[in-house]
Amino acid sequence: MKVLLLFIFLSTAIFASEAEDIIKKVDQNMRGKTLYLKIAMSIQTDYYERNMVLESYSEGSKKNFVKILSPSKDYGITFLSLHGQMWQYIPKIERIIKIPPSMMLQKWMGSDITNDDLVKQSSIVKDYTAKMLEKKGTLATILLTPKADAAVVWGKIITTVDTKTYTSQEEIYFDDDGKKVRSFVYKDVKKYGNYYLPTLWIIQPFDAPKHKTTLQIKEAKYDAPINPAYFSKSALKRFSN
Amino acid sequence: MFSLAIKNILFYKGRSLTTFLLTFVSLYLFIVYVAFMNGSHQSMLQNALNVYTGSFQIYQKEYRSKGGYDYLIRDTRKPLQILADTKGLKAFAPRLETFGIASSKTYSHPIMLTGIDFNREEKLSELKKALTQGEYNTHGACLYMGENLAQKLHLHLGDTLSFVGSAVDYSFVAELFEVCGLFKTGMYEFDSQSAFMNRDYFDTLFFSKNMATYIVAMAENLKHNDAVATKVEKKLPQELQLYRWQTLMKSMVQLMEIDSLFGYISMGLFFIVIFFVIMIYGFININARLREFGVLRSIGVSDNKISLLLLLEILLLTLFAFVFALPLGAYTAYYFQIHPIVIEGMSEMYKSYGVVSDKVPTLFDPLTVFYNSLFLFALNLLSIVYPIYYVRSFTPIEETQHV
Repeated sequence: MKVLLLFIFLSTAIFASEAEDIIKKVDQNMRGKTLYLKIAMSIQTDYYERNMVLESYSEGSKKNFVKILSPSKDYGITFLSLHGQMWQYIPKIERIIKIPPSMMLQKWMGSDITNDDLVKQSSIVKDYTAKMLEKKGTLATILLTPKADAAVVWGKIITTVDTKTYTSQEEIYFDDDGKKVRSFVYKDVKKYGNYYLPTLWIIQPFDAPKHKTTLQIKEAKYDAPINPAYFSKSALKRFSN
Repeated sequence: MFSLAIKNILFYKGRSLTTFLLTFVSLYLFIVYVAFMNGSHQSMLQNALNVYTGSFQIYQKEYRSKGGYDYLIRDTRKPLQILADTKGLKAFAPRLETFGIASSKTYSHPIMLTGIDFNREEKLSELKKALTQGEYNTHGACLYMGENLAQKLHLHLGDTLSFVGSAVDYSFVAELFEVCGLFKTGMYEFDSQSAFMNRDYFDTLFFSKNMATYIVAMAENLKHNDAVATKVEKKLPQELQLYRWQTLMKSMVQLMEIDSLFGYISMGLFFIVIFFVIMIYGFININARLREFGVLRSIGVSDNKISLLLLLEILLLTLFAFVFALPLGAYTAYYFQIHPIVIEGMSEMYKSYGVVSDKVPTLFDPLTVFYNSLFLFALNLLSIVYPIYYVRSFTPIEETQHV
């Protein structure tokens, strides 16, 4: 009996550890040490379709700078996330606006991603506990449940990871009641140096089937030096033009 | 019996005068009090409806429960045509409300920015009449804003403010506006949160051409609002829903109903006192006349005729008082409906209750006057029931020997 209990305990620990390792590698692929991305975003709803282009500079999970490049009316709107705080600069009115933490999960400009998704403030490594649900060939299905002290709103996330490239293929987000809220589908994985990155992300909310947000990664640069000036409040205005 | 009743009324002057005066004062006060109460309610409601709400509004279904741009009226052309084809409407107009942050150099405040057609609104609402400074019909990046909102942002006419919000497609809207006009409706919340701008420019900023949060309409006559609204309702596309002012102003209507109830309770207490005073005076008088009733019954006057005599007395006294009180009360109610009392500063003091005018009008409604009079008439007749019962409880012998 003792042997059996020990076997169950060890196998659970090994599986948990393996799941955590996979998630860490996925997160590493999504962040690098530094990462520059140029993204084309398309938002489709029942009533309109909108296209945007934006660029993102990030360093780890604490520093992120985003600038909108098109459409022209939104050109130069910048976002900065720094150590858990977020600001936005709007060139037309020359104002910097602080985005309160309560608004981090608000939809970003009518898309199906949140402010938090945009600046990747919460981390699937630090804020969630990973548990392997299933492993079939190179595909691992992992359950992520928020840690007790994590400031996240998802009740759980189920992610399917390709362990060949350590990229996520699909993520399903659930609310506290266990209801499916939205899905991220990742496609067209490309290799950038030592990193793999899906270059097509499709986000769909479950309560609005006609809504869809597509992110196409047009350019990605990993581990390239990023001017530290991007990660200061003055960057919002300075790099807006 | 009738002439005997007249004689008794003239003979027992004290009782007659008391009954007459109490009935006169009660009826007069009742008519005037109710007219003032209904008048002030009507005025509050009319003001609120005229200022902004209109007599009915048309929304996309679920907007009022869920809200947001996803539940806007996407094409206003059809419902506007239906309204144009409907008789009995004074005016109608689409409005698009959006919410955002307005900032002056040092202050920020959340506001409701509404794109309106200033020409249509002029016929529909009191927005133009509420103008205090600057111009009403603003163009381009110009705002017509509430005075209280301007005060909160420390802005004056000609100053610039920034607005940050989102367009109908949820893209950013950030714009610098000039304060071109200020208004004061007297409704504090409204004046401290609202700003209006020309619909054409609004549509270019918010991508909202032919869209509306709702369409507001005002019936020519509020009394016919239900009938007009029903006509429109029948023609509306399935995805749209019409709300009458009773629903839109539910809290105000409930407040008025409660106020009326307390008003009637106060008057009821007053009437209970009056009722007992009249009854006691009648009773004292009748008690003093027991010998007289004994003699009448002894010479063959039946109990019913005695009852009829007493009933006739109170009936005549009541009618006599009514002849004076009813026209006087009705005239007072009518006079103050046309010439409302003006209490300077009242609107300022009671603005949070929806009072937007210093005028205190009455509402002269013949039917209400009739019902109120009928109620008091019945109460007066009721006051003689016990004295009649009291008289009939004695035998003629007991009555003749009564001391």
